[in-house]
Amino acid sequence: MRIRLDPWPIDTQDGQLTLEPFKGLVFNVESDDWRAIPTRGIPKRVTKVLVVDGKPRMEARLLLEDDAGNMSLAGFGAFVVGAVSLCPHGSRQAELVDVKARRVLAYSGDTLLEPTRLSPRNPHTGVLEYAPHAYAGAHVEGARSAVQSLMLNAERDFSRDLASEMPLDEADENALPETLVLQDGPVRVGEAGRAVIGYVKTLHTDYLGADRIGLLAQLGCGERTPILRFTVGDSGEADYRGREQRFTWYVRLCDAPFYQHPLAGVMRLEMHAPEDTDFVPRAVIDAANLSGALLTRLGSQLHKDARAPQNLIPTAALEHAMSRAMGSQELVTRRIRTHLARELREGVLA
Amino acid sequence: MTGNLKLSAPNAAHIGRVLGTEDVTPTIFWFAVSAGASVQLDDLVVVETQRPDGKKVSFYGLVDNVRKRHEGVAFESDVEDVVAGILPASVSYAARVLVTRVDPENFIPPQPGDTVRHAQGAELSMALSADKMGEAAFPGGLLADGQPLPLNFRFVNGESGGHINISGISGVATKTSYALFLLHSIFTSGVMDQVAQASGGQLAGTAGGRAIIFNVKGEDLLFLDKPNKKVEEKEAKAQAEKGLGRERYALLNLPRQPFKDTQFLAPPRAGGRGDAIVPHTDQRSEGVTPFIFSLREFCARRMLQYVFSDSAGSLNLGYVIGNIEEKLFRLAQAQQGPGTHLLVTDWKVEESSEVPEELDFGDLGGIQIQTFDHLISYLEYKLLDENDGQGDKKWVLNQAQGTLRAFTRRLRGVQKHLTPLIRGDLTETQAEKYRPNLLRGAQLSVVDIHNLSGPAQMFVVGVLLREVFEHKERYGRQDTVFVVLDELNKYAPRDDGSPIKDVLLEIAERGRSLGIILIGAQQTASEVERRIVSNAAIRVVGRLDLAEAERPEYRFLPQSFRSRAGILQPGTMLVSQPDVPNPVLVNYPFPAWATRKDEVDDLGGRKAEDVGDDWLR
Repeated sequence: MRIRLDPWPIDTQDGQLTLEPFKGLVFNVESDDWRAIPTRGIPKRVTKVLVVDGKPRMEARLLLEDDAGNMSLAGFGAFVVGAVSLCPHGSRQAELVDVKARRVLAYSGDTLLEPTRLSPRNPHTGVLEYAPHAYAGAHVEGARSAVQSLMLNAERDFSRDLASEMPLDEADENALPETLVLQDGPVRVGEAGRAVIGYVKTLHTDYLGADRIGLLAQLGCGERTPILRFTVGDSGEADYRGREQRFTWYVRLCDAPFYQHPLAGVMRLEMHAPEDTDFVPRAVIDAANLSGALLTRLGSQLHKDARAPQNLIPTAALEHAMSRAMGSQELVTRRIRTHLARELREGVLA
Repeated sequence: MTGNLKLSAPNAAHIGRVLGTEDVTPTIFWFAVSAGASVQLDDLVVVETQRPDGKKVSFYGLVDNVRKRHEGVAFESDVEDVVAGILPASVSYAARVLVTRVDPENFIPPQPGDTVRHAQGAELSMALSADKMGEAAFPGGLLADGQPLPLNFRFVNGESGGHINISGISGVATKTSYALFLLHSIFTSGVMDQVAQASGGQLAGTAGGRAIIFNVKGEDLLFLDKPNKKVEEKEAKAQAEKGLGRERYALLNLPRQPFKDTQFLAPPRAGGRGDAIVPHTDQRSEGVTPFIFSLREFCARRMLQYVFSDSAGSLNLGYVIGNIEEKLFRLAQAQQGPGTHLLVTDWKVEESSEVPEELDFGDLGGIQIQTFDHLISYLEYKLLDENDGQGDKKWVLNQAQGTLRAFTRRLRGVQKHLTPLIRGDLTETQAEKYRPNLLRGAQLSVVDIHNLSGPAQMFVVGVLLREVFEHKERYGRQDTVFVVLDELNKYAPRDDGSPIKDVLLEIAERGRSLGIILIGAQQTASEVERRIVSNAAIRVVGRLDLAEAERPEYRFLPQSFRSRAGILQPGTMLVSQPDVPNPVLVNYPFPAWATRKDEVDDLGGRKAEDVGDDWLR
């Protein structure tokens, strides 16, 4: 028996490695020769990479009571979606793009609520305004899910707006656009046709199977697997017709330390695949070819980030900026308490 | 317009906002510098805050620290990722302000987020308390942004305070240069006239002020009346380097001219007797007057104590000196007839153990003492030889032989140095001509003592300062007299006593009420008598040794200034004055007067070829 360490800290929701078998079909589309492909470096024509991420936060659980005395659950929440814009060749300084907090009063029901405005006693310290958002259902975590869902939608829209159009031609050598978007997590429905690459930090699903997964441990830094294709949500049943198809490939960002499991430095990437085509568009192959060089450059180090190297340097900076944009949780909670105390005319609490 | 200082109109855009991540107090706060703005040490800034009742409070202050750092990164090695363009980080640029004034005096802190502006025009004068100075403001140098620093003349002339003390490493800090600049500013800015006028004419104006400078190094100060040929070039260069709109003299509203109404005094060359009295100077011969004290004057005006700079070490010796001084005083009082010699009738030369040469015997008996060494021989006779070695009882006064011998031995020790200065062979006309006349002559008197030995320097400084002091005691504080004295640690050391130190202490403690202002300078204030340094209202510091800067004498400098004192360049000084609680860094212009012979503009501003043509015609 050999014991190896999962690299991610115990307080994250899951480990980096779970490897639940994917039940559906996964096809070789780039090559049947299942072996490591070295990176080709980052072409000069790619001048802008945007690393996009989002962050939700619940700020208070609420209980609403209407005039008839009916009770319902709700919550004050906030989320931020932002990006880091950088040049993959290092010719300019990286910048934060549009990191702004949005606040939501998520509630179940059909009643129309007014925005809630929490004015501070000190005018220098800004105003909190929660926009009402109704969701269906009465689940106890409904408000949290609603905020999460709003955040994901905003992230998707933001990525789509920032990304260039992705040509799906098979042979065009200049198909790769100048701007690429790296989005935290898998690509989403609604982003098809855009140059969005989703990066999945965890290996929770095994898309490879026993015959192919051995290559992951053999990948060198910056090397990748050939590109595969699968259908989202494929349950493996014979008559299943999935929603969308995805291209995917794996990249190694750095050598795994000897005490960690051998897939520790490996990350999975995803792009949208067009329906009913049996080839891989040239631009997707180019994106896969540059991904090794790009991600080894952006990968973090263990002494600076517990989720290194997968939690990319710009992503960690972005997470930090997003937390800051939402403000201090303690102060917000205090402001909410004070606001409610004033509303209920019971005096002001600290 | 404050006094004679022209201050530009306010035109300041905002340069930052008060930080909320550092403590904000009424006396010190930080502000974040806005993008595109530039803030440097010594900039004067203003912040306006609003109280809850709507009233405004302004904070004026001085930037004493500026820093930049990467914001939003946690590790020092992140700088590599920032430069590589993969880690977004902003540069935080912040400055710390030491508050110099709060108006009105509501000592609340400014509000984080309040706007910070450069103080200009009227705000600058508020920051530096120039509005309180009124007509008493005179320029003490240029601030970093090219605006003049107002100094309060009422803290110079003794009205509210007096005396200036300058510290700094020799040669680098240019202490004497700054002292001369201040004199030039006082004499030419018109501040003396303005203050006199405002005081109802009780004080005399510019014409009333005088300065005495003791030249202790080379012949540097013997050319102060000559224009400096390098000034134009140096000032043009400084103007370009500092990006100033006008040359520095113009910014200070001071004329670029050498000192006028000057006199130069130097000791005579040794060895001369009779009429051949020439000043002991090597580089300048014309315009320098030799100074001599007559022997009769030496006795009558009790100068003997200044021959002994170390008399305070021995009580008995001090007693002997006092006694002999009194005897010589009576002797001088008893002299009749013209001349500067002393006629004594009780000197039986043949009883002296050593018979002096070239004694002059009077027509009616008695001996004419015409030289300092003859005076010493006479004293030896009176103390040690008369009465078969018992001495004259009235002169000895039961003092031990050892003490008397110590007295005469010390006199012999300085005989060589003082003989050229104290003479009894002059006519009264000559004595009058060569008597150093510091208070009725020119506005600026330079007394060259650099060629004198240590004891002779002490003697001259002591005698002349006492004379000034006594004169001012008689005539009061009209006509302010500025005394510039370098190497104060030599004349008024902290640990030893001397008659000169006593005079300097008198000047420091009582002089300001009499209108005698000491502009003292030294390398190390920690070695100067504490009471002299602590009496100076205006304190100036040039470059200091960093260990020296940590001594208690420099506590008036905030820590950041003490650290900077080690890197100050020539021409830059830190000036502290009572009106402004923090010191201010200033630079001052290159001297318009020659400070060395090779700086003298003897071509009158013309090219050498043109002057040569004139000679050939």
